[in-house]
Amino acid sequence: MATMVTAPAVRDTPLALGGRIFRSRLLVGTGKYKDNATMVRALEASGAEVVTVAVRRVNLDRTKEEGILHHLDPARFFLLANTAGCYTAEDAIRYARLAREAGFNEFVKLEVIGDQQTLLPDVAGLLEATKVLVKEGFRVMAYTNEDLITALRLQDAGAAAVMPLASPIGSGMGLVNPYHIRVIKSRLTVPVIVDAGVGTASDACVTMEQGVDGILMNTALAEAKDPVAMAHAMRLATEAGRTAFLAGRMPRREIAVPSSPTVGMLS
Amino acid sequence: MIASLPRLHAVTDDRVVGEGRIVERATAMAAAAGPLLAVQLRTRTLAGGAFLALARGLAQALKPHGAWLAVSDRADVARAAGAQIVVSGRGGMSVADVRRVAGQALVGRSVHTALEARAAADNDADFVIAGAVYATASHPDMKPAGPELVRGAAKAGLPVVAIGGLTPERTGAVIAAGAWGVAAIRALWDAPDPEAAARAFLTALPGGDAIGVVVNGEARRTSRGTTLAGLLAELRLDPRTVVVEHNRHIVRRDALAGVTLAEGDQVELVHFVGGG
Repeated sequence: MATMVTAPAVRDTPLALGGRIFRSRLLVGTGKYKDNATMVRALEASGAEVVTVAVRRVNLDRTKEEGILHHLDPARFFLLANTAGCYTAEDAIRYARLAREAGFNEFVKLEVIGDQQTLLPDVAGLLEATKVLVKEGFRVMAYTNEDLITALRLQDAGAAAVMPLASPIGSGMGLVNPYHIRVIKSRLTVPVIVDAGVGTASDACVTMEQGVDGILMNTALAEAKDPVAMAHAMRLATEAGRTAFLAGRMPRREIAVPSSPTVGMLS
Repeated sequence: MIASLPRLHAVTDDRVVGEGRIVERATAMAAAAGPLLAVQLRTRTLAGGAFLALARGLAQALKPHGAWLAVSDRADVARAAGAQIVVSGRGGMSVADVRRVAGQALVGRSVHTALEARAAADNDADFVIAGAVYATASHPDMKPAGPELVRGAAKAGLPVVAIGGLTPERTGAVIAAGAWGVAAIRALWDAPDPEAAARAFLTALPGGDAIGVVVNGEARRTSRGTTLAGLLAELRLDPRTVVVEHNRHIVRRDALAGVTLAEGDQVELVHFVGGG
């Protein structure tokens, strides 16, 4: 384990999500790992407390994989069920209800996908499902476009967090539209968690530098050559980006300003 | 494979075929009996083209219920329609010739005596249809042989499907005599409610108390009276690890023992897997 630089100069508040408090601003998924042992070690290295899971049919022939709960201790990780793979509000609502019945918490990472090729969200379906689920007492974390108006509507609908994408799910393209993410963060009062699209540590760092409350990733870890090492890097990058944001960056200029004194030069 | 031979055979004749609504009535029976039903299409009046068209329509209607299609005599029609059974009668093609044409289908031989059943076994038929056990309007000239015919035919070692005047009330007696199942014409096709008629037969047939349900998209049979808790036990699933949806309604863990499955119920069993 590498030595961590401790005691940052800037004091941060914890991440508050739907009435829960978390220390880590990095949230991670559990899909696509080559094996469960690697997945568990990567989760540990990431320092994440919130981990996402999907709802799927039990394999009835019982010869293949078991459920993920054999590998994830629900007492240790906060399980955030997603509605991945749902293309209608109705489906997403159905999956959310099933997930809640598993009995861990009232949270759902709500996805209503609108297009198979880009996996971009169907914002109309997302809003509709958010309204229904909020009414049923869910804490909805809504995966959405980096679009301010949709983000505002989701907040109005009662979403506990809004999760705009950095770039399409699994693309690893990084933060494509930092401006829109900043705008969303500046206008919303609920937490903004950037979800999907980061590829490597610098992406996570730049994303956190925009001032968002957290970041969620899966493929960047699972598809790294060494998922455990990448999880560690993402943990550092998330902390670095967050700390840099709190530290407040210097202004950007298009001219050079010397770092060394201009007086006292030899004549 | 023969273990899955249906127990209830709904046999047509020219009169039934002439009445029409074959597919409609067969579908109703299939809804009740599922894979325990074979619909045996028998006609001497339809030409090949019309025969095949009807067989195909039947095959399509039966398939979702897991019910089988049987075709009498016309091995070519059976093959083209994807029938699971060909029944060859007296004067019909030999078992070997039927197999040559129909490929994978089971071959049943229609017999009237224990001796003919023995011959069918010698010729490698898969099962026999033995009749007439009771007096039947289909063959008024035929002297009913009684359950004794079943007893004698069963000695040949092939599954025996009893035919001739069979009703739900008479089914118990032929099963007791060693029959695998029963075949009927009037008692099924002439019934005002073919689904109820099929169900009445099933109650007297081995395994007939089973109902068809769909679990995670797969059709399966389970005994009547099975609860959701019982289904999970059958599947060796720990109720603490799955969430159960029954006909689109989530059933709480503590309520699983209180929900009894009915024919056609849809059950989804889900759990958490890795996801982003």
